[in-house]
Amino acid sequence: MSSTKRYWKDLGELHQDPASLEGRGNEFPQDLAIDQVLGDASITGASTGRRDFLKFLGFSLGAASLAACETPVIKSIPYVNKPEDITPGVANWYASTFYDGDDYASILVKTREGRPIHVKGNPRFGINRNPALAKGSINARMNSSVLSLYDSARLTGPVAKGSETPATWADADKAIAAGLAAAAGKRMVLLSNTIISPSTQAAITALKGKYPTLEHVQYDTISYSGVTNANLKSFGKRVFPSYDFTKADVIVSVDADFLSSWGSTSETTWQYASRRNPDMPMNRHFQFEARMSLTGANADVRVPVKVSELAKAVVALHGHISGNPAGADAAMLKATEGAAKALMAAKGRSVVVAGSNNEGVQVLVNSINSMLGNYGSTIDLDAHTHFKQGDDAAVAQLVKDMNAGTVGALLIAGVNPAYSLPNAAEFKSGLAKVGMSVSFSGYADETASLCSWITPDHHYLESWNDFHPKVGQYALGQPAIRPLFDTRQWQESLLTWSGSTTSYHDHIRSVWEANLGSRGLVGSFGDTWNMAVHDGVLTAPVAPSTAPAVFAGDVAAATAAAAKASSGAGSFELSLYTTEAIGSGQHANNPWLQEMPDPLTKITWDNYVCMSPADVKELGLNMYLGEKAPASVVVVKVGDREISLPVVPTPGQKQGTIAIALGYGRGENGEQVGRAACVTNHNGELKPVGRNVYPFTSLVDGLVSYEALNVTVTPSGTTYPVAITQTHLTDMDRHSVVKETSIATYKAGDKSAYNHAHELGVHEDVNGDGVIDARDRKPVAEFDLWQEHPVEGVGHRWGLSIDLNGCIGCGACITACNSENNIPVVGKDEVRRSREMHWLRVDRYFSSDMTKERAKEEGLGKIDMYLQMEVPEESPTVMFMPVMCQHCNHAPCETVCPVAATTHSLEGLNQMAYNRCIGTRYCANNCPYKVRRFNWFNYVTEKFGEVNPAWDDLGRMVLNPDVVVRGRGVIEKCSMCVQQIQAGKLAAKKAGTPVKDGSIETACSAACGTGAIVFGDLNDKKSMVRGLADSDRSYHMLEEIGVKPNVNYLVKVRNTEEAAAHHA
Amino acid sequence: MHSEAAIREPLILGHKTYHDITQDIVGPIENKAPRGWYVLITIAALIALYGVGCIFWLLSKGIGVWGLNKTVDWAWDITNFVWWVGIGHAGTLISAVLLLFRQKWRMAVNRSAEAMTIFAVIMAAMFPLLHMGRLWLGYWVFPLPNQFGSLWVNFNSPLLWDVFAISTYFSVSLVFWYIGLIPDFATIRDKVTKPGMKKVYGILSFGWSGNAKAWTRFEEVSLVLAGVATPLVFSVHSVVSFDFATSVIPGWHTTIFPPYFVSGAVFSGFAMVQTLLLVMRKVMHLENYITVKHVEYMNIVIIVTGSIVGVAYITELFISWYSGVEYESYAFINRATGPYWWSYWAMMTCNVVSPQVFWFRNLRRNLAFTFFMSIIVNIGMWFERFVIIVTSLHRDYLPSSWNMFHPTWADAGLFLGTIGIFFTLYLLFARYFPVLALNEVKSILKVSGESYKKEAAKHHHH
Repeated sequence: MSSTKRYWKDLGELHQDPASLEGRGNEFPQDLAIDQVLGDASITGASTGRRDFLKFLGFSLGAASLAACETPVIKSIPYVNKPEDITPGVANWYASTFYDGDDYASILVKTREGRPIHVKGNPRFGINRNPALAKGSINARMNSSVLSLYDSARLTGPVAKGSETPATWADADKAIAAGLAAAAGKRMVLLSNTIISPSTQAAITALKGKYPTLEHVQYDTISYSGVTNANLKSFGKRVFPSYDFTKADVIVSVDADFLSSWGSTSETTWQYASRRNPDMPMNRHFQFEARMSLTGANADVRVPVKVSELAKAVVALHGHISGNPAGADAAMLKATEGAAKALMAAKGRSVVVAGSNNEGVQVLVNSINSMLGNYGSTIDLDAHTHFKQGDDAAVAQLVKDMNAGTVGALLIAGVNPAYSLPNAAEFKSGLAKVGMSVSFSGYADETASLCSWITPDHHYLESWNDFHPKVGQYALGQPAIRPLFDTRQWQESLLTWSGSTTSYHDHIRSVWEANLGSRGLVGSFGDTWNMAVHDGVLTAPVAPSTAPAVFAGDVAAATAAAAKASSGAGSFELSLYTTEAIGSGQHANNPWLQEMPDPLTKITWDNYVCMSPADVKELGLNMYLGEKAPASVVVVKVGDREISLPVVPTPGQKQGTIAIALGYGRGENGEQVGRAACVTNHNGELKPVGRNVYPFTSLVDGLVSYEALNVTVTPSGTTYPVAITQTHLTDMDRHSVVKETSIATYKAGDKSAYNHAHELGVHEDVNGDGVIDARDRKPVAEFDLWQEHPVEGVGHRWGLSIDLNGCIGCGACITACNSENNIPVVGKDEVRRSREMHWLRVDRYFSSDMTKERAKEEGLGKIDMYLQMEVPEESPTVMFMPVMCQHCNHAPCETVCPVAATTHSLEGLNQMAYNRCIGTRYCANNCPYKVRRFNWFNYVTEKFGEVNPAWDDLGRMVLNPDVVVRGRGVIEKCSMCVQQIQAGKLAAKKAGTPVKDGSIETACSAACGTGAIVFGDLNDKKSMVRGLADSDRSYHMLEEIGVKPNVNYLVKVRNTEEAAAHHA
Repeated sequence: MHSEAAIREPLILGHKTYHDITQDIVGPIENKAPRGWYVLITIAALIALYGVGCIFWLLSKGIGVWGLNKTVDWAWDITNFVWWVGIGHAGTLISAVLLLFRQKWRMAVNRSAEAMTIFAVIMAAMFPLLHMGRLWLGYWVFPLPNQFGSLWVNFNSPLLWDVFAISTYFSVSLVFWYIGLIPDFATIRDKVTKPGMKKVYGILSFGWSGNAKAWTRFEEVSLVLAGVATPLVFSVHSVVSFDFATSVIPGWHTTIFPPYFVSGAVFSGFAMVQTLLLVMRKVMHLENYITVKHVEYMNIVIIVTGSIVGVAYITELFISWYSGVEYESYAFINRATGPYWWSYWAMMTCNVVSPQVFWFRNLRRNLAFTFFMSIIVNIGMWFERFVIIVTSLHRDYLPSSWNMFHPTWADAGLFLGTIGIFFTLYLLFARYFPVLALNEVKSILKVSGESYKKEAAKHHHH
């Protein structure tokens, strides 16, 4: 037996079967279906070996992992050569000019990384510059205008009527050229707002060269034809004069709201306020008006008169001044007596203005001013303005011709007649008969959407422009950003259609070179031009006038014409006005402005019927308005036109009159007029904000009248929610909140009489009479419950001083703060719930005739006293008080925060660390000034996308990159613009100098053209803010609670006492 | 053995043996729950679920779903918080203070009252959390070491004191309650026959042996905890009152607040105990243990504390006039005559006027009337907190900021929801826990039991 064991796999092997032995080398007895599996003979046939395979594998793996590791592509391209003037993180300011047909001002535009984000008045140049304070005065509409640059409803290119998508400019130009050519033989009209630009005039002339029949018709949305026509009749010049209120000791205004809307407000506001300082000769201001206007609220003597009595008041005033009161209304003679006496005592140092568009009234006003010798001192007809050139008669004729079919082509620039004309319906029907109509509007608005073509203009911050606001004054507007969309400057369109290929910038340069070449320039034209671009303005010397203006008007005819404005016998008389926020309506799409509370009524996001509380009561309408207390709706009927509007009881409104704001109700037919003009209402419907009341305007003697004397008001029985930011009307006689006095008391020099310091009795012999009794008192300021912060005299201590005399209540500070600090816009419904986010508000208090003293005299009980204090008097005086965080040195908010999210800086600032805040809101409750705001929701969500600019990508471009956008659930509040303070300190540090007083400004102080808000270092003994804080008028709000604010207020002094004597 | 005067009313009625007591208390746990319990817990759970839904809505949208505004930044949230904390006061007062004062009648009510305390404090604690704008960062209120550098909590803030006060109070109450439950759990463990239940109650009773040493230690611990808990009864609501008292807001800035809040809390706590016990004694047939005398005792506490609260209200009014401070004076005139006058007078009627009827013996021994009054008092005490918080805030210093507060459905839903959660928890407690401290009750059976007292009296006569 063999000892070696053999093992076999199968019987074939055992039997050494050849067939079996043959297949032994094969692992698999059958062929595997590799070919079938791979399916492609070429793969098996390929020469790729194992090593190649591994190479490929390695390469692919490496490539794939490298690709995966690639950092995300950030599409920001670094500068190859850094532009000299752009440093990321450092703002650039460009001088430019704002002009929209209503308002004009020299401005500075702040840009960050190429984006305009803020607008303020030019502190160095321009007619709106307050030289004493070195501040440019602008209003809320102007500083908010930067937001409309980023409105997603703007047109992105030229559009033909009915087309959804933009066309190319070449197509548009071709079609328009054909249209214009076809209009030959018919009237061809350019309808625009008042053009104050020499280069635009030249461009129009150029177009006239090609189309000789082209006419230019100017149309002011709010007409001043009555004023300019009156000047033509009185002095032979159809101009709007230049006013100098700084020279006026006495101002009498009959319904002219010159602090808000009338005339050139960016000048009149600072001029007026410069004479409201009680330490200098103060002006005395009389106001006769039916509604409580912002100007009336600031007046020393405000006489409420009916709308129909306004013209009578002018006639009566004329009677007094001319010494021939025959024919004047007896009641008005009495009412104007005081004003007339004051005027007579200030001949040549006074001014009379009237808001009426009645030519007769304005001729009488001219006559009064002429008799008073005001021409040449307070009123300048030589260096007159170029504003308000609109001609109601020409516009009316145009509408007539359009309807007659005699207008072949109509170009519309800067105006929206289909919305704002009294006869808008006629205009629309006429427009349909015009062969070729072109609008330059940036939006497909009420007028533009009806035109054959819209060739959208740039936003003004994308444009080159020049201006000639006044004789001898020139200004330039320069772009602060490249055009965002495929728009074209409208003047360039005119040039293009005239066959020119020059850019508008070059055109302006050439016009300037041609016009100014001979005017004594410094250096070359290039130098002058560069200087003008840098400064934003150019002042050309004007020869002083030699011939004084001689009044040549017909007083008798004027009196007769004025009488027409006084006739009417309706149950109500209506006056139409424009608000501080919305103006004539072209800014209705601006969410900052819509959410800015009206200075008087504190209502946002609506227009309404202002009615005297007595009338509201008589009609049985809702008196108290609030979150759950909606306004009653009435139907206002003027002629055959009816509009339903909510009624707001407005103290100071003359009984028997009502007032409604123009400029609302944009986009009623679904036109795309911009972000905030239409919003979703409480019923979930997308509706225009407010109602359009331009249909209530009318043509009287060919002039637009903003008054209606035969009005019926019928309660509709329904209600409408309104969003109010301040629901209480009076100050409840709380003297440590607002303090005011008369000029006589102030001049008497006893501080305790008007600015009484709070004192506490102490148990020590303070007065040294040897007895400790009730007379031993110490001022509250000397008491300290806590250890004091080491702020006095150590380093900086930032503070604000707010002059209640300087504050006219305009609210420009509110929108400036919105812009600087990225304040979210929350929309009407949230404002209705009192959740507006404004860091800065302007409190408004109406006076009540119930006081603590009076209650004591009359023996009135406290409950009754307080109830009566809640009710303003029939013709109240008004206090405006800007309130922001008071930056208390003993801040009640700081002690209560459980996580120390709000703390005190060594420079006296009360700081808020948003990241640390957990949102208990204890600080907000414990703030005696109620300035803290809570993020109730995430405002950067779709819910608020309709109104909040921070929602869409375009709107977000307006945000200030220096200030964080706060998230849901945290408290925020005024930081005293700490980012500006830091920047200012850094600049000083780099320069190696101490921080110079005035080199740092908060947004509010920079925006305050009247100089009411002053920022600075309280530890700098020479600073302006310290001087004000140490002045006799200075007080701390709620001083007695001992929170030691770094914000002080200056007592309001009214120039009333003598006026009262006049009155009596 | 300690004997009790015959003139004192017995605290355990009828003839009860130790076994009877065990049977009466443990029986319901062993047996199937009555249908009524299922009905009640379904209702409570549904309301609780609605509340949970409101909480999610609040957390997903933001605090804006409530009716708060820039002037009134606290309203129902903190009102509910203080209300629930106040309710939570009775339990500890009964178990700790009355233990120190050797009030035997507490034994029948302390277990339920303590359970109520625990649940009420949980409800209360929800509000300071939920009212935060950023709840997810709520842990920042604890002084925890953190990665933010030397960032610490603000020890000056009364809200921080609240955190400590409430959490201490909650922990001590919980421990106190649980220690008391241990021997009773052991009794259940010994009595039940189902192995599952035996196991669970075995674990819950921590191996209680019931020997003399254990009992000695039990009593010592109870005494120590009572000593610890007693100051807490006074401190918690004092600290809660500091939230207001240390502020500058007229109507809040008041030194009278600590005693005023504590007595108010006891007042409302006893009212809630009455609400719960009057139902429970009926449903669970505990009439022999929670007797009319117990109810009367509690009504006496209510009248005493209610009167203290009344004096406090009137003192506030007096001081507002006497101080001569314009804002203070207006704040109180506004409370009584301003837009929220109805809440002030609701508070006055419910808290000051109505408890005075308990001076009548037959009324304070009338169970139906007591139940009605307990509800009235709880409504009144809710209004007290609403009045303090909302009417002080809505018109403070600057008339420009004066405003109204209007609650939303989310405000109401959340409050209702906590009531639902509270009753759900309480019903679960009543079903699975010994609702009376049965071992403690046994300790007074021979002294205060009706039949034993009668017998003792008989012997005495002989």
